[in-house]
Amino acid sequence: MEVSVVGNSQAKAGLAASRAVLFRSRIGGFSTSFCKSRVFMGQSRGLRKGKGECRLSSSAVRVEEVLSRSSSAPDVRSFQQPDKVRLCVGLPVDAVMDGNCVNHARAIAAGLKALKLLGIDGVELPVWWGVVEKEGRGEYEWSGYLALAEMVREAGLELHVTLCFHGCRQQQQPVISLPDWVMRVGEDESSSIFFTDRSGQQYKDCLSLAVDELPVLDGRTPMEVYHDFCESFKSSFSAYIGSPITGISMGLGPDGELRYPSLQGCESSQVDRVGAGEFQCYDRNMLKLLNEAAEACGNPFWGLGGPHDASGYDKSPISNSFFRDNGGSWESPYGEFFLSWYSNQLIRHGDRLLSLASSIFGDSGVAVSGKVPLAYSWNIINSHPSELTAGYYSTVKRDGYEEMAKMFAKNSCTVMLPGMDIRNDNARLLLGQIKAACRKHRVGVLGENSSVEGDIEQVKDVCAAGDIDSFFYQRMGAHFFSPEHFPAFTAFVGSTRQPRLHADDILKEDERAEESLTLTSDSVLQMQTA
Amino acid sequence: MPTLSTDPLPLPPTLRPSSASSSSALHSSLSFLLRRSSPWLSRRRCPAVACSAPRSVAPRASRGSSSSSVIVGDLEPAADPGVAFDKTFPIQHSAKVEGKIFVRFDQQNGENWVLTVGCTVPGTWILHWGVSYVDDVGSEWDQPPTEMRPPGSIPIKDYAIETPLEKPSTMMDGADCYEVNICVQSNSSIAAINFVLKDEETGAWYQHRGRDFKVPLVNCVPDDGNVVGANRGIGLWTGALGQLSNILLKTEATQEKPESSSCLSSESEEVRCIEGFYEEILLVKEVPIQNSVNVSVRNSPDDTKTLVSLETDLPGDVIVHWGVCRDDSKTWEIPSAPQPAETIAFKNKALRTLLQPKQQGNGASGLFTVDKEYAGFLFVLKLKGDSWLNCMGNDFYVPLPSSATDNQGEARSEGSQGHGMMEDHKEVSTTVYTDEIIKEIRNLASDISSEKSRNAKTKEAQESILQEIEKLAAEAYSIFRSAAPTFTDEAPAPEESIPSNISSGTGTGYEILCQGFNWESHKSGRWYMELEGRASELSALGFTIIWLPPPTDSVSPEGYMPRDLYNLNSRYGTVDQLKVLVKKFHEVNIKVLGDVVLNHRCAQYKNSNGVWNIFGGKLNWDDRAVVADDPHFQGRGNKSSGDNFHAAPNIDHSQDFVRKDIKEWLCWLRDEIGYDGWRLDFVRGFWGGYVKDYLDASEPYFAVGEYWDSLSYTYGEVDHNQDAHRQRIIDWINATNGTAGAFDVTTKGVLHAALERCEYWRLSDQKGKPPGVVGWWPSRAVTFIENHDTGSTQGHWRFPSGKEMQGYAYILTHPGTPAVFYDHIFSHYQSEISSLISLRNRNRIHCRSTVKIVKAERDVYAAIVDEKVAVKIGPGHFEPAVGHQRWSVAIEGNDYKVWQAS
Repeated sequence: MEVSVVGNSQAKAGLAASRAVLFRSRIGGFSTSFCKSRVFMGQSRGLRKGKGECRLSSSAVRVEEVLSRSSSAPDVRSFQQPDKVRLCVGLPVDAVMDGNCVNHARAIAAGLKALKLLGIDGVELPVWWGVVEKEGRGEYEWSGYLALAEMVREAGLELHVTLCFHGCRQQQQPVISLPDWVMRVGEDESSSIFFTDRSGQQYKDCLSLAVDELPVLDGRTPMEVYHDFCESFKSSFSAYIGSPITGISMGLGPDGELRYPSLQGCESSQVDRVGAGEFQCYDRNMLKLLNEAAEACGNPFWGLGGPHDASGYDKSPISNSFFRDNGGSWESPYGEFFLSWYSNQLIRHGDRLLSLASSIFGDSGVAVSGKVPLAYSWNIINSHPSELTAGYYSTVKRDGYEEMAKMFAKNSCTVMLPGMDIRNDNARLLLGQIKAACRKHRVGVLGENSSVEGDIEQVKDVCAAGDIDSFFYQRMGAHFFSPEHFPAFTAFVGSTRQPRLHADDILKEDERAEESLTLTSDSVLQMQTA
Repeated sequence: MPTLSTDPLPLPPTLRPSSASSSSALHSSLSFLLRRSSPWLSRRRCPAVACSAPRSVAPRASRGSSSSSVIVGDLEPAADPGVAFDKTFPIQHSAKVEGKIFVRFDQQNGENWVLTVGCTVPGTWILHWGVSYVDDVGSEWDQPPTEMRPPGSIPIKDYAIETPLEKPSTMMDGADCYEVNICVQSNSSIAAINFVLKDEETGAWYQHRGRDFKVPLVNCVPDDGNVVGANRGIGLWTGALGQLSNILLKTEATQEKPESSSCLSSESEEVRCIEGFYEEILLVKEVPIQNSVNVSVRNSPDDTKTLVSLETDLPGDVIVHWGVCRDDSKTWEIPSAPQPAETIAFKNKALRTLLQPKQQGNGASGLFTVDKEYAGFLFVLKLKGDSWLNCMGNDFYVPLPSSATDNQGEARSEGSQGHGMMEDHKEVSTTVYTDEIIKEIRNLASDISSEKSRNAKTKEAQESILQEIEKLAAEAYSIFRSAAPTFTDEAPAPEESIPSNISSGTGTGYEILCQGFNWESHKSGRWYMELEGRASELSALGFTIIWLPPPTDSVSPEGYMPRDLYNLNSRYGTVDQLKVLVKKFHEVNIKVLGDVVLNHRCAQYKNSNGVWNIFGGKLNWDDRAVVADDPHFQGRGNKSSGDNFHAAPNIDHSQDFVRKDIKEWLCWLRDEIGYDGWRLDFVRGFWGGYVKDYLDASEPYFAVGEYWDSLSYTYGEVDHNQDAHRQRIIDWINATNGTAGAFDVTTKGVLHAALERCEYWRLSDQKGKPPGVVGWWPSRAVTFIENHDTGSTQGHWRFPSGKEMQGYAYILTHPGTPAVFYDHIFSHYQSEISSLISLRNRNRIHCRSTVKIVKAERDVYAAIVDEKVAVKIGPGHFEPAVGHQRWSVAIEGNDYKVWQAS
């Protein structure tokens, strides 16, 4: 985020991205004494580079030596001031829609400058499989995203890339789907590459985890296709990886989250949803895996399908016996078998993708992360049915997030947690549970809000709590910049910077005045050239 | 044979609805109440797509198109170096266009008849229609046979047709006219044609007195008061009386133009006796109008003053309400003299100047001279009839060049050149937007500066950066917004959110109601005084609203047969005692609801036929105030808009004078007695739209209506699914536009069945939500288990005996606004009720709280409310899940238990 890092090429030359992270965090620490205003923090620090550069660089290098090769974020973060939360803003999901052009480029350019002046650290950019590799396998079109990366670099912001191997829907309407050639493969019902529910309904916004290692895509396995995609990304963006690209999120499933699309048949939003979702284990390949597992444990009948007595999408989970409190079949030996199998498949799928990502990006020093769902809606009953259908074997008696956290730790990845703007006790409790599991396994946590119309006060509280490293505010668009929202966002940014404001009292008055004059002319200059 | 007239009479001005003539009987078609109604009023029939018909965005006023002399566009800014500011603000406002809907029914030849529906107001009109067949039961529509459908008709589901109205060659009163013709065979089996008119531009539906228009083709069609052409000689009354009223109507209905002579056939015994008619119904539509105002600012020739000139193409007298300000805080001030001609001061805050009409063309202009010391010129425009125009919700603001803000001014114009590619209407909104952000961020900045620095230069620097941010954000906003959206940003807002404002439908959302009387309360003659002694106790129990008995002079001692509405001495006490009581409740912070009986009123005198239908007291109405469809009372008003209460004359709320009097009376009760709101008796009897009218006029703090009808039964057993029942209540609330809540009779009924039969599964509907009104529209549901009719000494529908506390455990922990009956408060249940109320208040449960049903089985029902309170009722076992929340038992009673999360 700092101009002193990103904008000054000498200072950053040769530093790998992990160092950039360190570097920034150190500067973040130092800058406490320089900041004069909560709203144009980044800029003011940038202007100090002339004076502070030497000192900052040397300290950064020193830290880097101590911690070199440590790519796990929590360790890095431990050097930071506790109140420092890195803030990023998501770019529009449709920023690139047909591969080689940037949508609303002028708006994004203006927005980036505004964010920079506000003191935002970086932006998050979703990169869609269905956009880049739309036409045919191996035919990548990166130019639109490259242009965006260049815009972000020019604006002096960091860039966090999310690789989306899923489709995007807004209000039930598809905005971006999987690549056309993949969809064509899926049209053949017998290929069975999509998650499928009990009634046979397919979820077409991502591939079933059961085909990860089956050669269903023109003779290649999805894992190979994801691998090629990531390699192509890495070589195309080699000039950007490290700076401005400092982080990469790996898409892990529906909406990018490590989960089953258990809510695919639900009509309404989380707020007034009736049911807890359904198990998604009915595609041919999943059933085959289930069958094998059942035979292995000596109960072949258990492999014929998912629980027959689980409730449907629009039925309360207590309307049938699987999830019931007293003697529900989730507590039976069969229930335990099925739920272990179902959740293990998900963890193994996550492991495959994250180890792929860390093998490709690990040596380039960018932090790799993955998203985990917040399925809190039915935690008022013992079986926690919405977590179970999503693929987390987590009930009142069992913590299903331990294995997930272990898997992330093994791959040196951080966890992205959505729903930080939800003001709801059960959501908060579940967040706490997942965070605790991550802490235990020394896995860093990034936060995200679920909607730009969410509760910004809640986000404020979350950031103030200080137990997340970065916050991704979703997302830029008309509403984001609207008079109804933007002032509140400005105030929020101010509040996260607040604790450091007091420190600038140690600056001498005249020095500060001088600084701010430079600042003004500089910023005007920047506006004109940009 | 009648000839087809294409030149109907214009409506004489004396027949506008407001000019109620006192001597003549008002004809029904005169007072046809035509309302813009939301489609859900008759959602049964209206296609769902119309619910959110897009508000048509009228094209931006094309500059210079209306008159040649207006407006220098800001795409060519500052051609004249003296011009410091030049901008054209678009003005969107609306005007009322009056016109009419006409319905004509003519015989063409033999069995062929033509129904013509037309409209003289510009719009994209669609006739949404269907038919009823002779042997139809109920009021559902059917689709007409295909040969009846005019070209261009589109079927809507299986019950209606939509046919666009077209512009025929004829003109009507010199205005545009749209119409559609439907051919009918008089020998077909169609009993009636039903329709509503829809304006596709605004999405508004036009109905007839709150219902569909109905054109009967046979005389056995049930008349619900919405029949068009009702005076066609077919005996709605029988015998001499019927003929008499027909004659009356015929002679006095001057605007009526009977075109057909076929009414002769009505004398015959034939069932089918069709007759032509022609009727007109007044229609007022709001149409958007685009105008603009151009403001240019220049320096006076001697450079000592700033000249602001305003030009507008608004027609008629335009008054500029204006002032100046010294800084961006935009505090209005009055500038020093000289002021333009025709200027008056307004309350020392602003000036009002009448703009001078332009020499040629429409519009007006004015020139204002302002001292250099001011930073801005602020104004709003006022048109005649007290309509105000502003700049998208804000005052118009024109920055003035002055020595102090010169630089800023330059920065501004530089900025606007920067995005000159945008169309200028965006520019305007950008300015408004920027101003808002400036305000917002300025607060931030001033915080910082006052705390951290007194250095003026730093402050300036901050300001300039803030302005950069604002400008950039505004730019991004306008581009994002105008970009053809590949998807919309806004998620549909959930209807039920956190309660914020007080509204008459909900109060604060945290209300708990006490019914402060029972069927015997009148007996002592001093109820008001007795209740006064209990006010503090009721307040301490946690009640926020009390419902007092009907206060007026009444034929029956309980007050529900009101007579003289302005006489408030009743069996409950005198008017003075009532005032003292209300004052007492206000002292202990309890709001007071008056029980108002609006459906019916007892007459004091007989008419010439010996029928009691002449009223006394201050509101000395005659039989025109009585609905026409109750033969006992021989009313001369319109048909009732609801069900009839047969023991007293039902009031015809479609009469303007009746509504005016009722509104005055309600306002008088508010002012004179101090009532805060209303409990509305028997609202089934008249259209909810009238209730909205009354509530809008009397502005109650809280209002609740009694819409009580029977639940659905099959073979004598209460159905599990009571959706139809609660839908009727919801329809009524909808008709009041949500300004009133309604007693949740459905919930009471389902509780009866569940508790009596030990069938607690009934307490969850098919969707897992509460089965009553509270499951669908919780904020408007007033839940109760007993009242003076159902219980007390009447016992018309008594709650299962001994199980009252289960009922209260349910309603006092659930969303909705709970009401507790007086008899239960002062009984052995008091301590339990008190605990439940304090638990509700402690956990801030409100009318929109969320409820999640976690168990609904034979012998037990359990739910978790707001994730803070768990409740079970019924003998079966339930314990809330231990896990994230720790639950502790708060209240335990006979077959119920309540926990709260800790």
